Amino acid sequence: MAQNVRDVSTNEEVTSTRRVIAASSVGTLIEWYDFYIFGTLAKIISEQFFPKDNPTAALLATLATFAAGFVIRPFGALFFGRLGDLIGRKYTFLVTLVIMGGSTFAIGLVPGYKTIGFFAPAIVFLLRLLQGLALGGEYGGAATYVAEHSPEGKRGFWTSFIQTTATLGLFLALGVILIVRQTLGVETFGDWGWRIPFILSAFLVAISVFIRLRMSESPLFVKMKKEGKTSANPLAESFKQKDNLKMVLIALLGATAGQGVVWYTGQFYALSFLQNACNIEFVQSNFIISIALLIGTPFFIVFGALSDKIGRKYIMMAGMLIAVIAYRPIYTIMYNDANLKNKVEVVEKKDVKIKNAVKGADSLITTITTKTFTDGTTFKETVKAKFPVDPALKAAMSKEKLKPETKKEVTLPKDLYYKMIGLVLIQVIFVTMVYGPIAAFLVEIFPTRIRYTSMSLPYHIGNGVFGGLVPLISTRLVEATRPGPGLPPADPLAGLWYPILIASVSFVIGSLYISNKTNNLDA
Amino acid sequence: MSAIKRIFGIVWALMGVGIVPLVIKQAMKEIAAKPSEENWIFWSIVIVVLMPIIAFSLITFGVFALKGEYDTLEDI
Repeated sequence: MAQNVRDVSTNEEVTSTRRVIAASSVGTLIEWYDFYIFGTLAKIISEQFFPKDNPTAALLATLATFAAGFVIRPFGALFFGRLGDLIGRKYTFLVTLVIMGGSTFAIGLVPGYKTIGFFAPAIVFLLRLLQGLALGGEYGGAATYVAEHSPEGKRGFWTSFIQTTATLGLFLALGVILIVRQTLGVETFGDWGWRIPFILSAFLVAISVFIRLRMSESPLFVKMKKEGKTSANPLAESFKQKDNLKMVLIALLGATAGQGVVWYTGQFYALSFLQNACNIEFVQSNFIISIALLIGTPFFIVFGALSDKIGRKYIMMAGMLIAVIAYRPIYTIMYNDANLKNKVEVVEKKDVKIKNAVKGADSLITTITTKTFTDGTTFKETVKAKFPVDPALKAAMSKEKLKPETKKEVTLPKDLYYKMIGLVLIQVIFVTMVYGPIAAFLVEIFPTRIRYTSMSLPYHIGNGVFGGLVPLISTRLVEATRPGPGLPPADPLAGLWYPILIASVSFVIGSLYISNKTNNLDA
Repeated sequence: MSAIKRIFGIVWALMGVGIVPLVIKQAMKEIAAKPSEENWIFWSIVIVVLMPIIAFSLITFGVFALKGEYDTLEDI
């Protein structure tokens, strides 16, 4: 009888924990989706709101991409983290969800630059800042909330579901955009169809808010509040008290900084490298990343669960170390497999098409060259050269505007395509090793009274600043090896030095100073 | 292990101190060579956002490590 009662109670606990995880994860996933659609549609958004011929708007575009991506996120972490430690986890991360959904929905409704002029980029910029602020508050709340519901010894497993949301959010964003684009056609999508993924967010958020409203507050927070043990000033306690500040620093330098760069390299830099360094065709490169992400995502849960058994530190450090060692060999293979210099052309299959079109006062000559190689690789080069019909107009145009636009697209044969998926998948596995156990690690090193605040800041500095800067700094490092304008970079892999350096320092600090022992959560 | 943690504390603190002149010198050199808007934005982001975070966190962390603040954390 006693055994039956215990079984029923355990089953109820499991069902309740599952509900908590589902509700938290769906909301966090939607927040990541909201955040990523802006980044994924950056080019269209730039055309609609940030015209290049307006320098202020162009500056706002850069700031919108970077400022909201990393500067604002830590502020969101501080603002909402404090609220979460003062009034509770549930209502705080409900607010972040509403702010994120509301601002995403609003971006979808803002009239373009052509309609309302400078107000358009200004409004979009502000809405993007709100997105960053909300994201800064969301993750810490969701991870803390789930961790505080999780039974001892299973925290790594349960919180790993939250860890899948960033990758699934990216996957969802790519999926929705591709579906809408395919359904409406490229032109309609560029015209107004891009607004649909933003507007869709309102429905997703409404569902998530409904689910979250039915959830109860974290049991540890409720107990602490009942006992009057909540912090009066979570910010001061988190960052002014030495005992806690030293843990914030160890979390940042020994874990989240390294994790951030591995995360961004394995997902975003890999895509950028495929498209820009390897010139892999747009759809094929997106499929390579998407398939690798899809296959790799369950490993967040595998490594989260494994961290309950062998400790968080070992897995995270192993992930960083292997990534540091393997990045250059992996990217060398990726580069060589797509490099046309290593391939033999089937000369008789070469095809050149020239189209001449007159558009307004311009004559546009498009030359499409298609080459096929013995291994099945195809290469398409499209050169668009503009020739103004009016000689006066031609004389007035800058050299830059008259420069032909060149687009290179490499399409890999099936065997190399699968190999490329495998190479990206290996990087996604590194991501899952460092990211899968990190939520459990972060919640366990801080006390309940200031957990939301303390864990959110190092997480968002590590991911937002160290990780978020991977594309910018890596591109810069590659450009530095370019011998001259228009020439290929001497070292196309130079961009990897930034993540390798940060992950190496993080690995040494983490290995020396982080404990592998998993801690119980106090109340 | 505690001794190693403390000795490395000096390394982290020195890295934190060293990064400031290194970054500023490089920024000045690159901006002087090519004073484009792109260069200004890039180095502003590095100097205003990334460098202070790295310098402050490494110096503070290094000093804590040197003082033995992390000695009590369980090794390995």
